[in-house]
Amino acid sequence: MAQIETKDLNFYYGQAQALRNINIAMEKNSVTAFIGPSGCGKSTLLRLFNRMNDLIDGSRIEGSVMIDGADIYARNVNVEDLRKKVGMVFQKPNPFPKSIFENVAYGLRVNGISSRSEIEGIVEASLQSAALWSEVKDKLNKSALQLSGGQQQRLCIARALAVAPSILLMDEPASALDPISTSKIEELIFELKKQYTIVIVTHSMQQAARVSDRTAFFYMGVMVEFDDTTTIFTNPKEERTLNYVTGRFG
Amino acid sequence: MADTKRIKQSIYFWIFRAMSMMVVFILVAILYFIVSRGIGVINWDFLTKSPEEGMVKGGIFPAIVGTLVLIAGSLIFAFPVGVFSAIYLNEYMKKGKVKSFLQLMTNNLAGVPSVVFGLFGMALFVNKLKFGDSIIAGSLTLGLLVLPVIIRTTEEALKAVDDNYRLASYAMGASKLYTIKKVILPIALPDIITGLILSIGRVSGETAPILFTVAAYFLPKLPHSIFDQVMALPYHLYVLATSGTNIEKARPVAFGTALVLVMIVLFTNIIANVVRAYYNKKYKK
Amino acid sequence: MTHLEQVLSDLKAELQEMAVLVQSQLKKSRSALMDLDKTLAKEVLHNEKRVNAMELKIDKMCENIVALYNPVANDMRTVFAYFKINSHLERMGDYAKNIAYNVIELPEPYSKGLMEKLELEKMFHIANEMINENVVALMTSNPSSAHEVFEMDTQLNLMHNKGIDIIVEEIKANTDKTRSLLELASIVRRLERVGDYNTNIAEEIIFCFEALVLKHKNTGTSND
Repeated sequence: MAQIETKDLNFYYGQAQALRNINIAMEKNSVTAFIGPSGCGKSTLLRLFNRMNDLIDGSRIEGSVMIDGADIYARNVNVEDLRKKVGMVFQKPNPFPKSIFENVAYGLRVNGISSRSEIEGIVEASLQSAALWSEVKDKLNKSALQLSGGQQQRLCIARALAVAPSILLMDEPASALDPISTSKIEELIFELKKQYTIVIVTHSMQQAARVSDRTAFFYMGVMVEFDDTTTIFTNPKEERTLNYVTGRFG
Repeated sequence: MADTKRIKQSIYFWIFRAMSMMVVFILVAILYFIVSRGIGVINWDFLTKSPEEGMVKGGIFPAIVGTLVLIAGSLIFAFPVGVFSAIYLNEYMKKGKVKSFLQLMTNNLAGVPSVVFGLFGMALFVNKLKFGDSIIAGSLTLGLLVLPVIIRTTEEALKAVDDNYRLASYAMGASKLYTIKKVILPIALPDIITGLILSIGRVSGETAPILFTVAAYFLPKLPHSIFDQVMALPYHLYVLATSGTNIEKARPVAFGTALVLVMIVLFTNIIANVVRAYYNKKYKK
Repeated sequence: MTHLEQVLSDLKAELQEMAVLVQSQLKKSRSALMDLDKTLAKEVLHNEKRVNAMELKIDKMCENIVALYNPVANDMRTVFAYFKINSHLERMGDYAKNIAYNVIELPEPYSKGLMEKLELEKMFHIANEMINENVVALMTSNPSSAHEVFEMDTQLNLMHNKGIDIIVEEIKANTDKTRSLLELASIVRRLERVGDYNTNIAEEIIFCFEALVLKHKNTGTSND
């Protein structure tokens, strides 16, 4: 069974329809990339999966989003619990202006975990998973803002991992980073998919090609094509997809 | 062509520079004026004794205490109210007419002359609520006066917090309240403290609002409760300069009083700046 | 190991399997020829489909790597080298199939004496060894054993030239067997061609890895 699935999903910002009739299903432990030109709705769709759209005044949703078989927009759903299960990493690295340790521990404290040894263990494990431990283990009490952009982004990934989500949403996680940091993040995604289901929005087609198993191409709020990444990049079925991946428009 | 442009550039540059230098010069001049004339009367007795002999001798101790009490009293009232309402305005209210209206009203409140606050305070606190001329009536009046300052600066401080921090916190499953407590307020704190500094300056220097609500012309003893009157430095200064029994003889005392007032403001500013620097260091780098 | 390295290593493993498959095709066509075993020859024809399928699979892998990973520098050279090696291996598989086809068409076996004179057994053996050396070079990323291949190719060429002379003499003596002897000549020629393709593979390997060696030298001096 698919871990994330949408059925006839429509989404509106006020009067403007941002997503049209989206039906997509993503398997457990897979990496799915959303590509498409700016304003095509790919980030909007991503944010529906952890209900970050709740924060936008005047937005409206039709259809359903199922995670592990349950409709996350049902009345009895606790949004805070949902977001613990569905982690998110943002475009701009946004560690809190706190220490490295406190950044990773943040989600644990949100969850009411107060045992020092338990927190320390999870912080270390999360930093290990984010391939950052060896770089920061001697300066855990230093401010997170002293880290480089790439390290900050991996810290944000560690922070998201600390609350043990099963899904990780990434909104252009490498677009603000240099090529070396980008490739580190990409290698990390490749590692993380063993344990997490990952959905990544990216402007870089090469990035989608390198890291994802499946790729969905969006254009003007419509999902034009969704297929194996290999197929999308070697032999797409739709002409609009072909034009986009070959750089002929968009 | 290029030459005239450069000359123009250079003329404006010097105008800008001259203006900013002038500001510094005026500040230094005022300080020099006050310090040079006031420093002579400053001594231990001046700071610790009550006024004597028609206020031309003795000290200004009750007025110092009075001013400090009024600063504390007004901020105890205005700071929580101001910060909480700013949090509501910035974090909870949706954009719209109601929010715009509240913000407009806050700005208008800031523009109301202080003497009007004084009259209002007298009408409400002194007469209607029957507090009489008292610390509580004066503090509340001064509190009302600085409330818009605190609201505006706190609101600006909260607005300056990068939205990404809020998103990051919500994405971790944190509630709004938790996010405000653990992420937003700590980041905004240094700027909120700046608002506090401005308020202290404002409160300690105002004469009009306390005139009808708390200030005593001459009261050579310390207050025992919040319903007592107190002397206050700005009002004391006003009295010394305009309506004493012997204005000429009181002149040095007046400058001494002015110097103490300036020093109190300066000192609270320094303390607030140290606190601000501490939080900046703790949270930013 | 990066993701791309992982994928390249998977590709290399496929290529090795392909080489082993072609090698087994050659071995079987040799046995079929030596023993006039038509059943075995038919098996070779049947297996040719597997060789072709495998070639397509490796082609597709190379295409995907180029499309998805945009390899550059040594990674790019490696992909292109593998792509060409794959095609050379497939051609060798074709020759093994052709030899098997010859065997099926053959009315009677060639005389043992003639086959010994032509050193056919040895030609097959050398061709087989060439593939071995290439696979070793590929798997160990060490081109030194690929250099051996050139030596062997010279040997095969000589045996081929000598063999053609022998067959010409034989035709003169037995004009009634001209047709089947011409077939034999084409078998000898095919073995020689297998040698040529192995040489090509060796060149690809050397091109691919000696560029790497060059790269290593550079990093060595920059550390000084």
